[in-house]
Amino acid sequence: MASLATVYNRILGAKVAPEIETPAVVVDQADSLRAIPNEDIYLFVKDIDNSRVIRQADPKARIDCWRMIVSGGIAVTFLVGMLLPGAASRIAGYQIQTLKQDQQKLLNDKAALELDEARLLSPARLEQLAKRQQFIDPAPQKIIYLDAKPGAIALNVKK
Amino acid sequence: MHETPEIKRVRLLMRMALLWAAIIFARLVYLQVFQHSTLKHVADLQHAHQMTVEVPRGTIFDRNGVPLAKSETLESVCVNPRRVPDAEVAADMLSGILDVDSKALRAKIADTAKDDGGFLWVQRFISREQSERLRSLNLDWIEFRTESRRVHPNGQLAAHVIGTVNSEQKGDSGLELSMNSDLTGMPGEIRLETDPKRRVFGSEVERSAIPGKDITLTIDSRIQYVAERELALAVENAHPRTASVVVLDAKTAEVLALANWPTFNPDDPVRNSSDLAARNDVAVTSPYEPGSVFKVVTLSSALETTDLRPESIIPCMNGVLRLGRRVIREAHGGYGKLSLADVLAKSSNIGAIQIAMRMGQDNQHAYVEKFGFGQATGIPLPSESRGTLRKKWQATSFASVAIGHEIAVTAVQLAQACDVVANNGVLLPPRLIIKKQRSDEPPEYEPAARPRTVLRPEIAITMRQLMEGVVLHGTGRRARLTGYTAGGKTGTAQIFDRATHSYGRYYNGSFMGFAPVGNPAIVIVVTLNGTTGGAAGYGGVVAGPVFKQVATAALRILDVPRDLPDDFKDDSNENVDMNDLSIAGLDPTTGSELMSQTQSLAQASKPPGQAFFVGPVAVSNVVVGPKVPDFRGMSMRDVILRAGEAGVSVETIGHGIARAQSPLPGMMVPAEEQVKVQFSR
Repeated sequence: MASLATVYNRILGAKVAPEIETPAVVVDQADSLRAIPNEDIYLFVKDIDNSRVIRQADPKARIDCWRMIVSGGIAVTFLVGMLLPGAASRIAGYQIQTLKQDQQKLLNDKAALELDEARLLSPARLEQLAKRQQFIDPAPQKIIYLDAKPGAIALNVKK
Repeated sequence: MHETPEIKRVRLLMRMALLWAAIIFARLVYLQVFQHSTLKHVADLQHAHQMTVEVPRGTIFDRNGVPLAKSETLESVCVNPRRVPDAEVAADMLSGILDVDSKALRAKIADTAKDDGGFLWVQRFISREQSERLRSLNLDWIEFRTESRRVHPNGQLAAHVIGTVNSEQKGDSGLELSMNSDLTGMPGEIRLETDPKRRVFGSEVERSAIPGKDITLTIDSRIQYVAERELALAVENAHPRTASVVVLDAKTAEVLALANWPTFNPDDPVRNSSDLAARNDVAVTSPYEPGSVFKVVTLSSALETTDLRPESIIPCMNGVLRLGRRVIREAHGGYGKLSLADVLAKSSNIGAIQIAMRMGQDNQHAYVEKFGFGQATGIPLPSESRGTLRKKWQATSFASVAIGHEIAVTAVQLAQACDVVANNGVLLPPRLIIKKQRSDEPPEYEPAARPRTVLRPEIAITMRQLMEGVVLHGTGRRARLTGYTAGGKTGTAQIFDRATHSYGRYYNGSFMGFAPVGNPAIVIVVTLNGTTGGAAGYGGVVAGPVFKQVATAALRILDVPRDLPDDFKDDSNENVDMNDLSIAGLDPTTGSELMSQTQSLAQASKPPGQAFFVGPVAVSNVVVGPKVPDFRGMSMRDVILRAGEAGVSVETIGHGIARAQSPLPGMMVPAEEQVKVQFSR
């Protein structure tokens, strides 16, 4: 099994440091400081040849592993299943509110347009237009009624 | 089994995890069970908001679905002066978009901020474009409030009927006031759930909003417009203090138009007392002495209760009638004898008083009540006046009432009474509302009032013929229509001056009529109160033309078939006297003394069921002469032959088929009198 140092070196591609001979240290006991802990430990890279190691078949572990994965998946699915409606509801809520605002805006616009239509069709305005265009009042029974759309409020709607 | 250190470590880890889970569970139990209500309240404060859902006021439509009054939702702008970084910049910015004065706004913002005020209206009811431009600035100190405003797309059209609302959108006058509970909905409550950014992601209706009911009126905006237009023209010419026009559907008594002058625009605020006075619904709230138009009631009642017929001759005493010591004079010289039909056509006051005498006070009072006077019609408009009809009449009241004095009526009451004649003797109260409807509910149709028979149908038809005579050759000639027959009655009543306690020189000029005569479709009452005196103020002169214009337009709009050819022109009686001024000089106090004497004299010869029948003016029904045949529908040759057979001489006018005649069929005419027959193709 590779140690952390081995992994580090593999990633960085560092070469294994050559073994360094430890120089003989002449210690003057009288003047020397006390050694710091683990001063005598040196890290070095040890080549391990695992090519001849054969992994022993362990069906139980494999089953356990798969069981763990499936259980985890089920748990995640369950969790997502639990949370998903709430999230969807929240998203739908935003959409509904947006649509409601749009609907209200459209209703307000419709009301405003209806008012504009009523203003445009007011008898006073129509008469003003007629006078401006030098129209004269049509003779009785000489008025032609147009087909109106359902719900139209145009004044020539035939009753 | 020997446990390895790894297993021990795993076990320890699991125990710790279990303990951790247990602690969390305990904490959850504590929070969600024991602290539930407290925390829910705190949470609600953070992410739930209660909001009131304002509902728009119901719309008022005319009979064709044209909106007359509608609520519009608009935004208003306000600022929090404490949050405004620079009042001058803010004022410049806002005045660039809104219609506000920059300097004034700057001062307001500064003053409000100085007083530590946190709210200031900048402008109410801004347009959508202005709202969008302001929103695009994305400034947090500019706030918007949604407000509702009543809008009248046709301006002042039917203003008195619709009425006004106050700043709180509550009815102030007209239908807005009387139907306020129907028009006003009930606001709803809604609970909004918001995220930390205050974006709404959920809502729950806690109390449903109930929208106001839309109301469909019987008013036809086209007829209403013509009525207002013609009334304004008449006012320009006659300068009355007030005026009104009421148009009814003759069959259903539905109010097709109700116009008053002075009028107002409901969108404009009240600025002064004249603005306030203009909001008075004269036709409904202001009774007046009707004058000669009331002779229709007098004569109808007489035809119903006595043996008088249209051809009955009424002595008109050459214009002078003595009631005891009192002398009543005709307004225009006077007549010797008139047929009952001519009493109406020529609007003879003495003739009407004679007829009232013949009918008797009790009958007269009863029929005045039957015609609906002295009672509210029930039209759903606020402050409707019942008019004035005294329970106990004084001695001369019968004479005053016969010619439309000592009684006060509203234009709506007159229209109702005229409709009795037009509708074959059946009284129907005026109807103003067709239906009420909430947006998501079926319509509630207003139930029709129970009809009441006042006159026999034959009497109503006779009265229609007599009223046609008024238009053809009486005081109502200016109301004659082209293409349609019409009947009516003019009225000119002197106005009682409260200052001098006498009848002054101002007149109430009126005309009430219907068209066509054969099968009336509309009833119109025109009243101009306070016209300047003289011939220019007579009802036939000032109100007759209004009737003509309004009736012509209304009949065309209602698609009523013509019953006369276009070229029909009755040119007889060109110089007819239009004076129908009713005598107003019947002083009740002196009249009382006079009539007590007169009554004692009359008791001896009083016929059964008649209160008064004054000796010197006793009516004779007998006239010597041939009976006039019915020439209508005959060719000229047939008319001449038939006239010869009957022993009457005829004067023919025009060519074609006989369309009208005077005197009416069945009347007795003196041998020397000619029957005028109008022909047309």
